[in-house]
Amino acid sequence: MQENYLAKWLNNELSEEELAAFKRSEEYASYQKIVRASDALEAPSFDMEKALGDFKERQLNKETKVIKMRPAQYLMRIAAAVIVLFAATYFYIASLNETFSTEYAQRTEIVLPDASEVLLNAESELSYSERKWDSERKLSLDGEAFFKVAKGKKFTVTTDLGDVSVLGTQFNVESRKGFFEVTCYEGLVSVTFQGKVEELPAGTSFLVVNDRIVPTDAPLTAVPSWVNNESSFKSIPLTYVLNEFQRQYNVKVETKNVDLTQLFTGTFSNTNINLALQSISTPSQISYTLEKNKVLFYAENAP
Amino acid sequence: MDNVCEEKVFNAIFNSNSKTIFNYIYYKYGNEEKAYDAVQEAFVKLWENCAKVAPEKAKAFVYKVANNLYLNVLKAEKVRLKYAEKALKTSSESPEFLMEEKEFKDKLDRALNSLPENQRTVFLLNRIDGKKYAEIAEMEGVSVKAIEKRMHLALKSLRAQIDGI
Repeated sequence: MQENYLAKWLNNELSEEELAAFKRSEEYASYQKIVRASDALEAPSFDMEKALGDFKERQLNKETKVIKMRPAQYLMRIAAAVIVLFAATYFYIASLNETFSTEYAQRTEIVLPDASEVLLNAESELSYSERKWDSERKLSLDGEAFFKVAKGKKFTVTTDLGDVSVLGTQFNVESRKGFFEVTCYEGLVSVTFQGKVEELPAGTSFLVVNDRIVPTDAPLTAVPSWVNNESSFKSIPLTYVLNEFQRQYNVKVETKNVDLTQLFTGTFSNTNINLALQSISTPSQISYTLEKNKVLFYAENAP
Repeated sequence: MDNVCEEKVFNAIFNSNSKTIFNYIYYKYGNEEKAYDAVQEAFVKLWENCAKVAPEKAKAFVYKVANNLYLNVLKAEKVRLKYAEKALKTSSESPEFLMEEKEFKDKLDRALNSLPENQRTVFLLNRIDGKKYAEIAEMEGVSVKAIEKRMHLALKSLRAQIDGI
């Protein structure tokens, strides 16, 4: 008989001879009886549905305990999100340019991080990057501003029409549609216009009207006239004068039969509108009517 | 790919193994309550480790957990097994025969309880649960030959007890 023949017998693995020999043995009947009786045995009942239900419930309770921890986790997530948002906003704002602007009939004074001063005339916008200011004194201007630049590194004003670079000085920049004027009051200013660089010593001006450089006389005052609430012009087409008037008083200017290309030389007050209207109309030999927020200039000798 | 963490896969493993785990632990220790707890414990552990246990290893995993649970901790109690009712009903034998049969079954019960735990477990898993030796070997973590040995010895001692040798 082979090893573990009883196990083999139950598994029908005995050879025919072995099986025959086993059947002949006296204990065979006993084994058969034991196996037959054993096969009628049953294990205690096991309710699988209940067991799975119990298991699920147990897991659920466990997970409920875990959920208790979650509010904190949840709050942490919100806190993290808020921090990220704040940080992002901070860096975004920090990267944004500092911008100042004026409306019609408005003026503002700005002190730059290096103590340079800027006086911003009506309807103008000035912006610069505060973050980059220490490495690069650069700002962009749309409109008119008078700069008193503290001594230091190169100071650059960029405009749509041209760039102005200085080291430390006082100068005025006006950049309006078709009109670009730079006047240096102190020190040396370099103006880049259409790719060409123009050196502007103190007491000189650089003027561009309708994209053409126009020779101009030295300024008579130590600061731009607008700083003292006056707008001065020397041989400037009337249309720019009227635009400036419009900006200073926030009124709508209309014209009728007026030659807007005629050159105007003179000064008008930025504080007294009636005086200003006379200052413009008398030398130009035109008339005007002032209604609420609206001025009509018209030619006296209208055909 | 199937993952034990998926409820469907997990439930399938539960349905095909929970009853056997229950019986397995019961045959070893004769304690229904503990056997029931072993099932719970085994599947709790499986669920906790569902991401780490491959579906084909899940079966061996739950038997191992159930087996280790009471190792050297629980003292074996008397295993009480019932006889299938149909076996009793179909017998249209004489009262003497029934008496004799009852006596035989009592002897078998006693003999089973006096078997070493590992022999009893193998014998009952095979006879009641119809488990193949290879399956039992996998559950117990031993060779098929070792299972055959236990089976052989179990039968031998049962006969020796019953026949009063």
